[in-house]
Amino acid sequence: MKRFKGLALVGILLLGSCSPEQKEWQYTELYSLGEARPVGIALIPEGFWISDGDNNRLLKTDRKGVPERFVDSLERPMHIDVVDEVVYVPQYGNDRVGILNQDVLQQTKGPGQLDAPAGVSVRGKTMAIADFYSNKVHYRNEEGKWSTFGEKGNAPGEFLYPTDVQITEEGIWVADAYNHRAQLIDFEGNPLKVMGEDQDINAATGIWVTPKEVFLTDFENDRVWVYNKAGEVIQMLADNIHRPIDLVSEDDNLWIINFRKGELLKYQFEKRKE
Amino acid sequence: MMKHIIQTSLLLLFSLTMAVAQNQRDVYQVQVDGLGCPFCAYGLEKKFKEFKGIKKITIDIDSGDFRFEYPADNPLTADQVVSQVEKAGYTPKTWTITRADGTVESSDQLAQASDNGNFKTYNMAVSGVCGMCKARIEKTALSVKGVGEAEWSIEENVLVLGLDPELTSKDRVGAAILATGHDVEGKKATDKAYDALPPCCLYRTKSKH
Repeated sequence: MKRFKGLALVGILLLGSCSPEQKEWQYTELYSLGEARPVGIALIPEGFWISDGDNNRLLKTDRKGVPERFVDSLERPMHIDVVDEVVYVPQYGNDRVGILNQDVLQQTKGPGQLDAPAGVSVRGKTMAIADFYSNKVHYRNEEGKWSTFGEKGNAPGEFLYPTDVQITEEGIWVADAYNHRAQLIDFEGNPLKVMGEDQDINAATGIWVTPKEVFLTDFENDRVWVYNKAGEVIQMLADNIHRPIDLVSEDDNLWIINFRKGELLKYQFEKRKE
Repeated sequence: MMKHIIQTSLLLLFSLTMAVAQNQRDVYQVQVDGLGCPFCAYGLEKKFKEFKGIKKITIDIDSGDFRFEYPADNPLTADQVVSQVEKAGYTPKTWTITRADGTVESSDQLAQASDNGNFKTYNMAVSGVCGMCKARIEKTALSVKGVGEAEWSIEENVLVLGLDPELTSKDRVGAAILATGHDVEGKKATDKAYDALPPCCLYRTKSKH
């Protein structure tokens, strides 16, 4: 029996040594965005589009946050999205969604009667808008029909000042900012998942969802939370994070924007440092 | 012919005068206490867009400086401006108006602690959650005649109050704060008052920060 126990221990150790390296998100670099007060970020092959709320403009930057182009005449641009080189810009100040295609900015009313749209997501022909003061999420389906979901409250499917959205094949993910949580609703507005309620988040302002993870900014606490799709915390990020407001990832790279300091942070998913 | 020239000249002069008058703008500067996030700051701006004709709005979230211009031929009073800030749920600290003709109007500190030896100190439990809550609670307390000191702690949710018992009472101060949407000593503010608070201040959905 003693011999059997010894063999089992050796087996466990061998299994342990064969397991994949433990990787986690780690801070790697910080880039200044100068005078910009970034609110939203969207990834493009050559860099990013970043909305600069305080200065009413968009910046097109390289991957180090160096501006290559500015687009003015926006009114408090918030959490943007980019699809096929077209930039979608919800504007808190004029209740419009701007569509920047090539050099032409077209102002649209979306579903109409928006009240401080704070986030937009586009996927194929579908679009979702987080409408801040109405406490609603608007959704345009493949046929172009708009639906409106939610009302002010804290039950699942209700919102308290939503600030960001992302459409995935699972449904619509919502940064339910002042309920301090993330929500997933289906395309008919039914609540599917709530996460972040146990982390004492203070203003969940930005959300980014990948096939395996959900990233949520914790604005007032200077943190970013990383969850799996079941809503379990995988990691909490804090290094150099100061008033994080939006984020985006690609493969093993994650970029976070710090609103107050006008910074772009880069994190990488790599082997844990001892 | 001469009559026609005079008429045209007068018309031109009148049009020019009107154009100059319309282009003249008063400059309004308000220092707002406790601004914390872009959603609240831009919300304040949105509230002021109710004043048709408002231009060149800027907000510095760090300093709380809020500035805008407004047509001089339809001037706003300081009371209108202060009231609009308060209606939006924010707390004005000081204001300055520079009229188009060069005259300057400005506030004293709108509410500040005074130094009077007859104060008695009380502690009062007041619910709140952020810097904007702090500004509102302290200013409301200090606006009650007889209150000389008000210091609210975000962490403890306690207001330390210095007041002259001959002029006011702890209950009177509590009632004034309750009306702004903050629960006081177990008494709940009305839903209407609570719902009027800016998003950052919704303390019932959140623990302290």
